[in-house]
Amino acid sequence: MRALEPWVEDPLRTFVAESQVRVALLMTSAGQVVAQHGFTRSLDVMTAAALGAGIVASTRELARETGAGTFGAIVHQGGKLGVFLAPFSMPDTQWIGLAVFGPDTSIGMVQLFFGRMVDDLVKTAPRTLPGREVLPETFEDDLNASLRALFGR
Amino acid sequence: MTDDIAAMTLELAQDPNSLVFLRLAEALRRKGQLDAALTVAGRGAGRYPELADAHDLLARIQADKGDGDGAFDAWTTVLRLAPDHLGAHKGLAFIAYRTGDLGRSVRHLTRALELAPADTSLASAIERIRSMMVSRTEPAPGAPEPAPPEPRGAVELTPALLFDQQGRVLRGSLERSDGVDASDAVAAALAGVSREAERATRMLELGEWRAIAIESGAVNYELRTPTAETLLLVMRGREVPAGRLARIADKAVEQARQWLEELA
Amino acid sequence: MTTREQMVLDDITRVAGVRSAILVAADDGLVVAESALEGQATEAAAAFAARLAQRLAALTRTLHTPPMSVMLLQATGGQLFVAAGGEGLLLVAVTGNEVNIGEVRLALLDAAGRLN
Repeated sequence: MRALEPWVEDPLRTFVAESQVRVALLMTSAGQVVAQHGFTRSLDVMTAAALGAGIVASTRELARETGAGTFGAIVHQGGKLGVFLAPFSMPDTQWIGLAVFGPDTSIGMVQLFFGRMVDDLVKTAPRTLPGREVLPETFEDDLNASLRALFGR
Repeated sequence: MTDDIAAMTLELAQDPNSLVFLRLAEALRRKGQLDAALTVAGRGAGRYPELADAHDLLARIQADKGDGDGAFDAWTTVLRLAPDHLGAHKGLAFIAYRTGDLGRSVRHLTRALELAPADTSLASAIERIRSMMVSRTEPAPGAPEPAPPEPRGAVELTPALLFDQQGRVLRGSLERSDGVDASDAVAAALAGVSREAERATRMLELGEWRAIAIESGAVNYELRTPTAETLLLVMRGREVPAGRLARIADKAVEQARQWLEELA
Repeated sequence: MTTREQMVLDDITRVAGVRSAILVAADDGLVVAESALEGQATEAAAAFAARLAQRLAALTRTLHTPPMSVMLLQATGGQLFVAAGGEGLLLVAVTGNEVNIGEVRLALLDAAGRLN
Protein backbone atom coordinates (compact mmCIF):
# COMPACT_ATOMS: atom_id res chain seq x y z
CA MET A 1 0.00 0.00 0.00
CA ARG A 2 1.22 3.48 -0.83
CA ALA A 3 -0.35 6.80 0.13
CA LEU A 4 0.57 10.41 -0.57
CA GLU A 5 -1.14 11.37 2.68
CA PRO A 6 -0.03 9.27 5.68
CA TRP A 7 -3.31 9.71 7.56
CA VAL A 8 -5.10 7.95 4.68
CA GLU A 9 -3.17 4.71 5.19
CA ASP A 10 -4.94 3.31 8.23
CA PRO A 11 -8.52 3.76 6.98
CA LEU A 12 -7.57 2.38 3.57
CA ARG A 13 -5.70 -0.57 5.08
CA THR A 14 -8.73 -1.41 7.24
CA PHE A 15 -11.02 -1.16 4.23
CA VAL A 16 -8.86 -3.50 2.17
CA ALA A 17 -8.53 -6.01 5.02
CA GLU A 18 -12.18 -6.04 6.02
CA SER A 19 -13.80 -5.90 2.60
CA GLN A 20 -11.21 -8.22 1.02
CA VAL A 21 -11.00 -6.17 -2.15
CA ARG A 22 -8.05 -6.93 -4.37
CA VAL A 23 -7.29 -3.45 -5.62
CA ALA A 24 -8.20 -0.08 -4.12
CA LEU A 25 -7.56 3.45 -5.29
CA LEU A 26 -8.39 6.77 -3.70
CA MET A 27 -8.25 9.86 -5.88
CA THR A 28 -9.48 13.40 -6.04
CA SER A 29 -12.35 14.22 -8.35
CA ALA A 30 -9.73 15.59 -10.77
CA GLY A 31 -8.06 12.19 -10.96
CA GLN A 32 -5.07 12.92 -8.71
CA VAL A 33 -4.12 9.73 -6.93
CA VAL A 34 -4.12 9.93 -3.13
CA ALA A 35 -3.45 6.31 -2.22
CA GLN A 36 -3.45 2.89 -3.80
CA HIS A 37 -3.37 -0.75 -2.83
CA GLY A 38 -2.78 -3.67 -5.15
CA PHE A 39 -1.51 -1.93 -8.26
CA THR A 40 1.91 -3.03 -9.41
CA ARG A 41 2.52 -0.65 -12.30
CA SER A 42 2.27 3.12 -12.31
CA LEU A 43 0.67 2.98 -15.76
CA ASP A 44 -2.25 1.00 -14.35
CA VAL A 45 -2.79 3.57 -11.61
CA MET A 46 -2.72 6.45 -14.05
CA THR A 47 -5.20 4.73 -16.34
CA ALA A 48 -7.52 3.67 -13.53
CA ALA A 49 -7.50 7.12 -11.94
CA ALA A 50 -8.18 8.88 -15.23
CA LEU A 51 -10.96 6.49 -16.19
CA GLY A 52 -12.50 6.49 -12.71
CA ALA A 53 -12.61 10.27 -12.53
CA GLY A 54 -13.99 10.40 -16.07
CA ILE A 55 -16.75 7.90 -15.32
CA VAL A 56 -17.78 9.72 -12.17
CA ALA A 57 -17.81 13.07 -13.97
CA SER A 58 -19.82 11.78 -16.92
CA THR A 59 -22.26 9.85 -14.71
CA ARG A 60 -22.80 12.93 -12.56
CA GLU A 61 -23.49 14.95 -15.71
CA LEU A 62 -25.86 12.28 -16.99
CA ALA A 63 -27.70 12.29 -13.68
CA ARG A 64 -27.97 16.05 -13.82
CA GLU A 65 -29.23 16.04 -17.43
CA THR A 66 -31.85 13.41 -16.74
CA GLY A 67 -32.96 14.95 -13.50
CA ALA A 68 -31.90 11.88 -11.59
CA GLY A 69 -30.14 14.02 -9.02
CA THR A 70 -27.11 12.76 -7.17
CA PHE A 71 -25.86 9.22 -7.41
CA GLY A 72 -24.06 7.00 -4.97
CA ALA A 73 -21.88 4.18 -6.16
CA ILE A 74 -21.42 2.59 -9.56
CA VAL A 75 -20.94 -1.16 -9.53
CA HIS A 76 -19.96 -3.32 -12.46
CA GLN A 77 -20.28 -7.00 -11.70
CA GLY A 78 -18.22 -9.03 -14.14
CA GLY A 79 -17.94 -12.78 -14.39
CA LYS A 80 -14.98 -13.09 -12.07
CA LEU A 81 -14.29 -9.58 -10.82
CA GLY A 82 -16.43 -6.63 -9.88
CA VAL A 83 -15.62 -2.94 -9.91
CA PHE A 84 -16.96 -0.52 -7.30
CA LEU A 85 -16.63 3.21 -7.97
CA ALA A 86 -18.03 5.85 -5.64
CA PRO A 87 -17.57 9.59 -5.13
CA PHE A 88 -17.66 10.87 -1.58
CA SER A 89 -17.37 14.16 0.25
CA MET A 90 -14.30 15.11 2.22
CA PRO A 91 -14.02 18.44 4.05
CA ASP A 92 -14.11 21.12 1.34
CA THR A 93 -13.54 18.71 -1.56
CA GLN A 94 -14.75 15.59 -3.39
CA TRP A 95 -12.81 12.34 -3.57
CA ILE A 96 -13.44 9.12 -5.45
CA GLY A 97 -12.85 5.55 -4.35
CA LEU A 98 -12.35 2.68 -6.73
CA ALA A 99 -12.13 -0.97 -5.73
CA VAL A 100 -11.83 -4.23 -7.64
CA PHE A 101 -13.20 -7.28 -5.86
CA GLY A 102 -13.46 -11.00 -6.50
CA PRO A 103 -15.90 -13.75 -5.55
CA ASP A 104 -14.35 -14.01 -2.09
CA THR A 105 -16.38 -10.97 -1.04
CA SER A 106 -19.59 -9.24 -2.12
CA ILE A 107 -20.87 -5.84 -3.16
CA GLY A 108 -22.57 -5.58 0.20
CA MET A 109 -19.30 -6.09 2.08
CA VAL A 110 -17.44 -3.64 -0.16
CA GLN A 111 -20.15 -1.02 0.22
CA LEU A 112 -20.37 -1.54 3.99
CA PHE A 113 -16.66 -1.12 4.64
CA PHE A 114 -16.29 1.62 2.05
CA GLY A 115 -18.83 3.64 4.03
CA ARG A 116 -16.89 3.02 7.22
CA MET A 117 -13.64 4.04 5.55
CA VAL A 118 -15.20 7.29 4.38
CA ASP A 119 -16.35 8.01 7.95
CA ASP A 120 -12.81 7.35 9.22
CA LEU A 121 -11.25 9.51 6.52
CA VAL A 122 -13.55 12.42 7.28
CA LYS A 123 -12.78 12.11 10.99
CA THR A 124 -9.02 12.03 10.56
CA ALA A 125 -8.62 14.45 7.64
CA PRO A 126 -6.52 17.58 8.19
CA ARG A 127 -7.98 20.92 7.23
CA THR A 128 -6.20 21.25 3.89
CA LEU A 129 -6.63 18.34 1.55
CA PRO A 130 -5.41 17.35 -1.89
CA GLY A 131 -8.08 18.31 -4.32
CA ARG A 132 -6.96 21.76 -5.28
CA GLU A 133 -7.56 22.83 -8.82
CA VAL A 134 -5.31 21.10 -11.35
CA LEU A 135 -3.64 23.61 -13.64
CA PRO A 136 -2.44 22.56 -17.08
CA GLU A 137 1.02 23.97 -16.47
CA THR A 138 1.55 21.92 -13.29
CA PHE A 139 -0.38 18.80 -14.25
CA GLU A 140 2.55 16.74 -15.51
CA ASP A 141 4.78 17.64 -12.57
CA ASP A 142 1.97 16.83 -10.13
CA LEU A 143 1.34 13.51 -11.81
CA ASN A 144 4.98 12.49 -11.85
CA ALA A 145 5.45 13.49 -8.25
CA SER A 146 2.41 11.44 -7.25
CA LEU A 147 3.59 8.37 -9.12
CA ARG A 148 7.06 8.62 -7.60
CA ALA A 149 5.52 8.74 -4.15
CA LEU A 150 3.14 5.89 -4.84
CA PHE A 151 5.66 3.57 -6.43
CA GLY A 152 8.85 4.72 -4.80
CA ARG A 153 10.62 5.71 -8.00
CA MET B 1 -41.58 -72.17 3.72
CA THR B 2 -41.40 -73.90 0.32
CA ASP B 3 -45.11 -73.33 -0.17
CA ASP B 4 -44.67 -69.72 0.79
CA ILE B 5 -41.86 -69.35 -1.72
CA ALA B 6 -43.99 -70.94 -4.42
CA ALA B 7 -46.92 -68.65 -3.62
CA MET B 8 -44.76 -65.56 -3.60
CA THR B 9 -43.04 -66.61 -6.84
CA LEU B 10 -46.47 -66.97 -8.46
CA GLU B 11 -47.58 -63.61 -7.12
CA LEU B 12 -44.47 -61.95 -8.49
CA ALA B 13 -44.90 -63.63 -11.86
CA GLN B 14 -48.45 -62.32 -12.06
CA ASP B 15 -47.48 -58.83 -10.97
CA PRO B 16 -43.79 -58.03 -11.61
CA ASN B 17 -44.31 -54.63 -9.91
CA SER B 18 -45.32 -56.26 -6.64
CA LEU B 19 -43.21 -55.54 -3.58
CA VAL B 20 -43.50 -59.20 -2.68
CA PHE B 21 -40.01 -59.57 -4.12
CA LEU B 22 -38.68 -58.31 -0.78
CA ARG B 23 -40.21 -61.17 1.18
CA LEU B 24 -39.45 -63.70 -1.55
CA ALA B 25 -35.76 -62.82 -1.77
CA GLU B 26 -35.47 -62.80 2.02
CA ALA B 27 -37.10 -66.25 2.20
CA LEU B 28 -34.71 -67.58 -0.46
CA ARG B 29 -31.76 -66.07 1.40
CA ARG B 30 -32.79 -67.73 4.66
CA LYS B 31 -33.15 -71.00 2.82
CA GLY B 32 -29.63 -70.66 1.49
CA GLN B 33 -30.67 -70.26 -2.15
CA LEU B 34 -28.42 -67.26 -2.52
CA ASP B 35 -28.19 -67.12 -6.31
CA ALA B 36 -31.97 -67.20 -6.68
CA ALA B 37 -32.31 -64.64 -3.86
CA LEU B 38 -29.81 -62.40 -5.59
CA THR B 39 -31.65 -62.60 -8.90
CA VAL B 40 -34.99 -61.70 -7.31
CA ALA B 41 -33.55 -58.90 -5.17
CA GLY B 42 -31.48 -57.53 -8.06
CA ARG B 43 -34.52 -57.32 -10.34
CA GLY B 44 -36.58 -55.73 -7.56
CA ALA B 45 -33.88 -53.15 -6.83
CA GLY B 46 -33.70 -52.41 -10.56
CA ARG B 47 -37.45 -51.86 -10.63
CA TYR B 48 -37.43 -49.76 -7.43
CA PRO B 49 -34.04 -47.99 -7.46
CA GLU B 50 -35.12 -45.53 -4.77
CA LEU B 51 -36.26 -48.23 -2.34
CA ALA B 52 -33.62 -48.43 0.39
CA ASP B 53 -34.87 -51.77 1.71
CA ALA B 54 -34.36 -53.38 -1.70
CA HIS B 55 -30.69 -52.37 -1.70
CA ASP B 56 -30.34 -53.45 1.93
CA LEU B 57 -31.65 -56.90 1.01
CA LEU B 58 -29.29 -57.03 -1.95
CA ALA B 59 -26.40 -56.12 0.34
CA ARG B 60 -27.24 -58.84 2.87
CA ILE B 61 -27.44 -61.49 0.14
CA GLN B 62 -24.09 -60.36 -1.28
CA ALA B 63 -22.56 -60.39 2.20
CA ASP B 64 -23.82 -63.97 2.64
CA LYS B 65 -22.20 -64.88 -0.67
CA GLY B 66 -18.90 -63.40 0.53
CA ASP B 67 -19.06 -60.58 -1.99
CA GLY B 68 -17.84 -57.78 0.31
CA ASP B 69 -17.44 -55.23 -2.46
CA GLY B 70 -20.95 -55.81 -3.76
CA ALA B 71 -22.39 -55.57 -0.25
CA PHE B 72 -20.43 -52.39 0.44
CA ASP B 73 -21.76 -50.76 -2.74
CA ALA B 74 -25.33 -51.77 -1.97
CA TRP B 75 -25.25 -50.53 1.64
CA THR B 76 -23.62 -47.31 0.53
CA THR B 77 -26.55 -46.86 -1.84
CA VAL B 78 -28.91 -47.49 1.07
CA LEU B 79 -27.31 -44.69 3.08
CA ARG B 80 -27.57 -42.35 0.14
CA LEU B 81 -31.30 -43.04 0.03
CA ALA B 82 -31.84 -43.28 3.79
CA PRO B 83 -28.94 -41.88 5.85
CA ASP B 84 -30.35 -43.32 9.07
CA HIS B 85 -30.91 -46.89 7.87
CA LEU B 86 -30.00 -49.05 10.85
CA GLY B 87 -29.30 -52.19 8.80
CA ALA B 88 -26.93 -50.38 6.46
CA HIS B 89 -24.91 -48.92 9.33
CA LYS B 90 -24.66 -52.38 10.93
CA GLY B 91 -23.69 -53.95 7.61
CA LEU B 92 -21.05 -51.36 6.80
CA ALA B 93 -19.69 -51.69 10.34
CA PHE B 94 -19.35 -55.42 9.76
CA ILE B 95 -17.57 -54.97 6.42
CA ALA B 96 -15.23 -52.35 7.86
CA TYR B 97 -14.44 -54.68 10.77
CA ARG B 98 -13.63 -57.53 8.39
CA THR B 99 -11.32 -55.35 6.34
CA GLY B 100 -9.53 -54.12 9.47
CA ASP B 101 -10.84 -50.54 9.32
CA LEU B 102 -11.78 -50.48 12.99
CA GLY B 103 -12.26 -46.71 13.21
CA ARG B 104 -14.86 -46.77 10.44
CA SER B 105 -16.49 -49.82 12.00
CA VAL B 106 -16.88 -47.98 15.31
CA ARG B 107 -18.32 -44.96 13.56
CA HIS B 108 -21.04 -47.01 11.89
CA LEU B 109 -21.77 -48.94 15.08
CA THR B 110 -22.00 -45.70 17.04
CA ARG B 111 -24.51 -44.35 14.58
CA ALA B 112 -26.42 -47.63 14.74
CA LEU B 113 -26.49 -47.38 18.54
CA GLU B 114 -27.87 -43.87 18.30
CA LEU B 115 -30.62 -45.21 16.06
CA ALA B 116 -31.29 -48.23 18.29
CA PRO B 117 -30.21 -47.20 21.81
CA ALA B 118 -31.82 -50.29 23.39
CA ASP B 119 -29.64 -52.68 21.39
CA THR B 120 -27.02 -53.65 23.98
CA SER B 121 -25.16 -55.84 21.48
CA LEU B 122 -24.15 -52.71 19.60
CA ALA B 123 -22.70 -51.08 22.73
CA SER B 124 -20.68 -54.19 23.57
CA ALA B 125 -19.45 -54.45 19.97
CA ILE B 126 -18.23 -50.85 20.11
CA GLU B 127 -16.50 -51.55 23.43
CA ARG B 128 -14.84 -54.66 22.03
CA ILE B 129 -13.55 -52.94 18.90
CA ARG B 130 -12.27 -49.96 20.88
CA SER B 131 -10.30 -52.36 23.08
CA MET B 132 -8.82 -53.87 19.94
CA MET B 133 -7.89 -50.40 18.69
CA VAL B 134 -6.09 -49.61 21.93
CA SER B 135 -4.25 -52.95 21.96
CA ARG B 136 -3.18 -52.35 18.38
CA THR B 137 -1.31 -49.26 19.50
CA GLU B 138 0.65 -51.06 22.21
CA PRO B 139 4.33 -50.76 21.42
CA ALA B 140 6.56 -53.53 20.22
CA PRO B 141 9.68 -54.02 22.36
CA GLY B 142 12.05 -51.16 21.66
CA ALA B 143 9.45 -49.19 19.77
CA PRO B 144 9.11 -45.46 20.48
CA GLU B 145 6.64 -44.26 23.10
CA PRO B 146 3.10 -44.48 21.72
CA ALA B 147 0.70 -41.57 21.52
CA PRO B 148 -1.50 -41.20 24.62
CA PRO B 149 -4.59 -43.42 24.53
CA GLU B 150 -7.67 -41.83 23.06
CA PRO B 151 -10.04 -40.44 25.68
CA ARG B 152 -12.99 -42.80 25.76
CA GLY B 153 -15.64 -41.73 23.33
CA ALA B 154 -14.05 -38.39 22.60
CA VAL B 155 -15.74 -36.79 19.58
CA GLU B 156 -17.01 -40.16 18.49
CA LEU B 157 -20.37 -40.16 20.22
CA THR B 158 -21.83 -38.74 17.07
CA PRO B 159 -20.66 -37.91 13.55
CA ALA B 160 -18.38 -35.01 14.37
CA LEU B 161 -15.25 -33.38 13.08
CA LEU B 162 -12.67 -31.39 15.02
CA PHE B 163 -10.36 -29.25 12.91
CA ASP B 164 -8.14 -26.22 13.22
CA GLN B 165 -8.48 -22.73 11.80
CA GLN B 166 -6.09 -23.68 9.01
CA GLY B 167 -8.45 -26.38 7.77
CA ARG B 168 -6.52 -29.38 9.11
CA VAL B 169 -8.45 -32.28 10.59
CA LEU B 170 -7.57 -33.01 14.20
CA ARG B 171 -10.05 -35.70 15.14
CA GLY B 172 -13.15 -37.52 13.97
CA SER B 173 -14.53 -37.78 10.49
CA LEU B 174 -17.56 -36.99 8.39
CA GLU B 175 -18.85 -38.92 5.44
CA ARG B 176 -21.07 -37.91 2.59
CA SER B 177 -24.32 -39.83 2.34
CA ASP B 178 -22.71 -42.07 -0.30
CA GLY B 179 -20.10 -43.15 2.26
CA VAL B 180 -17.21 -41.17 0.82
CA ASP B 181 -15.05 -39.57 3.50
CA ALA B 182 -15.37 -35.79 3.28
CA SER B 183 -13.45 -34.83 6.43
CA ASP B 184 -10.61 -32.96 4.73
CA ALA B 185 -12.94 -31.18 2.33
CA VAL B 186 -15.26 -30.06 5.14
CA ALA B 187 -12.36 -28.82 7.26
CA ALA B 188 -10.98 -26.87 4.32
CA ALA B 189 -14.39 -25.43 3.44
CA LEU B 190 -15.10 -24.24 6.98
CA ALA B 191 -11.62 -23.10 8.00
CA GLY B 192 -12.39 -19.40 7.64
CA VAL B 193 -15.93 -19.48 8.97
CA SER B 194 -14.91 -18.76 12.54
CA ARG B 195 -13.25 -15.53 11.48
CA GLU B 196 -16.33 -14.57 9.45
CA ALA B 197 -18.59 -15.30 12.42
CA GLU B 198 -16.33 -13.35 14.73
CA ARG B 199 -16.35 -10.38 12.35
CA ALA B 200 -20.11 -10.56 11.92
CA THR B 201 -20.86 -10.58 15.64
CA ARG B 202 -18.32 -7.81 16.26
CA MET B 203 -19.73 -5.56 13.54
CA LEU B 204 -23.30 -6.26 14.59
CA GLU B 205 -22.39 -5.75 18.25
CA LEU B 206 -23.65 -9.18 19.19
CA GLY B 207 -20.69 -10.10 21.40
CA GLU B 208 -18.70 -13.31 21.02
CA TRP B 209 -20.10 -16.03 18.80
CA ARG B 210 -20.86 -19.36 20.45
CA ALA B 211 -22.57 -21.58 17.89
CA ILE B 212 -23.85 -21.79 14.35
CA ALA B 213 -26.79 -24.10 13.73
CA ILE B 214 -27.58 -25.05 10.14
CA GLU B 215 -30.61 -26.86 8.76
CA SER B 216 -30.01 -28.60 5.44
CA GLY B 217 -32.73 -30.95 4.27
CA ALA B 218 -32.67 -34.13 6.31
CA VAL B 219 -29.51 -33.11 8.12
CA ASN B 220 -28.82 -30.60 10.88
CA TYR B 221 -25.36 -29.27 11.69
CA GLU B 222 -23.99 -27.41 14.65
CA LEU B 223 -20.65 -25.63 14.48
CA ARG B 224 -18.81 -24.75 17.68
CA THR B 225 -15.45 -23.41 18.66
CA PRO B 226 -14.05 -25.52 21.53
CA THR B 227 -10.93 -23.33 21.64
CA ALA B 228 -9.79 -20.19 19.85
CA GLU B 229 -7.80 -22.32 17.40
CA THR B 230 -10.29 -25.09 16.70
CA LEU B 231 -13.74 -25.72 15.29
CA LEU B 232 -16.05 -28.65 15.90
CA LEU B 233 -18.81 -29.64 13.49
CA VAL B 234 -21.52 -31.97 14.74
CA MET B 235 -23.92 -33.50 12.25
CA ARG B 236 -27.18 -35.30 12.95
CA GLY B 237 -30.32 -36.36 11.15
CA ARG B 238 -33.23 -33.96 11.25
CA GLU B 239 -35.15 -36.29 13.54
CA VAL B 240 -32.86 -35.08 16.33
CA PRO B 241 -34.50 -31.88 17.60
CA ALA B 242 -32.40 -28.72 17.53
CA GLY B 243 -32.35 -28.45 21.31
CA ARG B 244 -31.01 -31.98 21.66
CA LEU B 245 -28.43 -31.39 18.96
CA ALA B 246 -27.22 -28.38 20.96
CA ARG B 247 -26.83 -30.62 24.04
CA ILE B 248 -24.94 -33.19 21.99
CA ALA B 249 -22.70 -30.42 20.68
CA ASP B 250 -22.11 -29.19 24.26
CA LYS B 251 -20.92 -32.64 25.21
CA ALA B 252 -18.76 -33.00 22.12
CA VAL B 253 -17.16 -29.62 22.86
CA GLU B 254 -16.28 -30.74 26.38
CA GLN B 255 -14.77 -33.94 25.05
CA ALA B 256 -12.85 -32.10 22.37
CA ARG B 257 -11.41 -29.71 24.96
CA GLN B 258 -10.43 -32.61 27.16
CA TRP B 259 -8.77 -34.36 24.24
CA LEU B 260 -6.90 -31.21 23.24
CA GLU B 261 -5.70 -30.71 26.82
CA GLU B 262 -4.39 -34.26 26.93
CA LEU B 263 -2.52 -33.65 23.70
CA ALA B 264 -0.91 -30.46 25.03
CA MET C 1 -40.01 -2.42 -2.34
CA THR C 2 -43.57 -3.71 -2.52
CA THR C 3 -46.16 -3.50 0.21
CA ARG C 4 -46.22 -7.29 0.36
CA GLU C 5 -42.51 -7.53 1.19
CA GLN C 6 -42.83 -4.80 3.78
CA MET C 7 -45.80 -6.52 5.41
CA VAL C 8 -43.93 -9.82 5.53
CA LEU C 9 -40.93 -8.18 7.19
CA ASP C 10 -43.11 -6.22 9.60
CA ASP C 11 -44.70 -9.48 10.72
CA ILE C 12 -41.27 -10.84 11.64
CA THR C 13 -40.36 -7.79 13.67
CA ARG C 14 -43.59 -8.18 15.63
CA VAL C 15 -42.10 -11.28 17.27
CA ALA C 16 -40.81 -10.25 20.69
CA GLY C 17 -37.06 -9.66 20.75
CA VAL C 18 -36.60 -9.22 17.00
CA ARG C 19 -34.57 -6.08 16.33
CA SER C 20 -34.64 -6.17 12.54
CA ALA C 21 -35.91 -8.23 9.63
CA ILE C 22 -34.21 -7.82 6.29
CA LEU C 23 -34.68 -9.18 2.80
CA VAL C 24 -31.20 -9.57 1.32
CA ALA C 25 -29.81 -10.27 -2.14
CA ALA C 26 -27.94 -13.52 -1.49
CA ASP C 27 -25.11 -12.96 -3.98
CA ASP C 28 -24.55 -9.28 -3.30
CA GLY C 29 -25.32 -8.98 0.40
CA LEU C 30 -27.34 -5.85 -0.29
CA VAL C 31 -30.54 -4.86 1.48
CA VAL C 32 -33.62 -5.37 -0.71
CA ALA C 33 -36.19 -4.45 1.94
CA GLU C 34 -36.08 -3.99 5.69
CA SER C 35 -38.10 -3.52 8.82
CA ALA C 36 -36.01 -2.48 11.77
CA LEU C 37 -36.05 -0.76 15.12
CA GLU C 38 -34.33 2.60 15.10
CA GLY C 39 -30.55 2.50 15.09
CA GLN C 40 -30.23 -1.04 13.75
CA ALA C 41 -27.42 -1.47 11.19
CA THR C 42 -29.32 -3.42 8.56
CA GLU C 43 -26.64 -2.86 5.91
CA ALA C 44 -24.04 -4.68 8.01
CA ALA C 45 -26.44 -7.47 8.96
CA ALA C 46 -27.30 -8.01 5.29
CA ALA C 47 -23.66 -8.10 4.17
CA PHE C 48 -22.54 -10.48 6.90
CA ALA C 49 -25.56 -12.74 6.68
CA ALA C 50 -25.00 -13.21 2.95
CA ARG C 51 -21.30 -13.77 3.49
CA LEU C 52 -21.88 -16.42 6.14
CA ALA C 53 -24.54 -18.10 4.04
CA GLN C 54 -22.08 -18.26 1.14
CA ARG C 55 -19.37 -19.74 3.33
CA LEU C 56 -21.69 -22.31 4.84
CA ALA C 57 -23.00 -23.28 1.42
CA ALA C 58 -19.59 -24.88 0.91
CA LEU C 59 -20.44 -27.27 3.76
CA THR C 60 -23.69 -28.53 2.28
CA ARG C 61 -22.11 -28.76 -1.18
CA THR C 62 -19.21 -30.77 0.19
CA LEU C 63 -21.43 -33.20 2.05
CA HIS C 64 -23.95 -33.46 -0.79
CA THR C 65 -26.81 -32.34 1.41
CA PRO C 66 -29.51 -29.91 0.21
CA PRO C 67 -28.83 -26.16 0.39
CA MET C 68 -29.18 -24.52 3.79
CA SER C 69 -32.78 -23.68 4.68
CA VAL C 70 -32.14 -21.99 8.03
CA MET C 71 -28.97 -20.82 9.76
CA LEU C 72 -28.68 -19.42 13.28
CA LEU C 73 -25.56 -17.68 14.54
CA GLN C 74 -25.69 -17.48 18.33
CA ALA C 75 -23.54 -15.01 20.22
CA THR C 76 -23.27 -13.74 23.77
CA GLY C 77 -25.17 -10.53 22.96
CA GLY C 78 -27.71 -11.63 20.38
CA GLN C 79 -28.48 -13.84 17.43
CA LEU C 80 -28.50 -13.68 13.66
CA PHE C 81 -31.10 -15.80 11.86
CA VAL C 82 -30.83 -16.44 8.11
CA ALA C 83 -33.40 -18.32 6.05
CA ALA C 84 -33.51 -19.06 2.35
CA GLY C 85 -36.05 -16.56 1.07
CA GLY C 86 -36.69 -17.79 -2.44
CA GLU C 87 -35.00 -16.99 -5.72
CA GLY C 88 -31.62 -15.46 -4.84
CA LEU C 89 -32.89 -13.94 -1.62
CA LEU C 90 -32.27 -14.42 2.07
CA LEU C 91 -34.48 -13.50 4.99
CA VAL C 92 -32.44 -12.23 7.88
CA ALA C 93 -33.43 -11.41 11.45
CA VAL C 94 -31.29 -9.94 14.19
CA THR C 95 -32.56 -10.66 17.68
CA GLY C 96 -31.62 -10.53 21.31
CA ASN C 97 -30.91 -13.69 23.29
CA GLU C 98 -34.17 -13.56 25.20
CA VAL C 99 -36.08 -14.38 22.02
CA ASN C 100 -38.08 -17.56 21.45
CA ILE C 101 -35.89 -19.24 18.85
CA GLY C 102 -38.62 -21.55 17.63
CA GLU C 103 -41.01 -18.66 17.12
CA VAL C 104 -38.50 -16.61 15.11
CA ARG C 105 -37.57 -19.65 13.04
CA LEU C 106 -41.21 -20.31 12.20
CA ALA C 107 -41.82 -16.63 11.44
CA LEU C 108 -38.92 -16.66 8.97
CA LEU C 109 -40.04 -19.89 7.32
CA ASP C 110 -43.58 -18.57 7.09
CA ALA C 111 -42.28 -15.33 5.57
CA ALA C 112 -40.17 -17.26 3.08
CA GLY C 113 -43.26 -19.22 2.04
CA ARG C 114 -45.27 -16.04 1.56
CA LEU C 115 -42.54 -14.44 -0.55
CA ASN C 116 -42.16 -17.45 -2.85
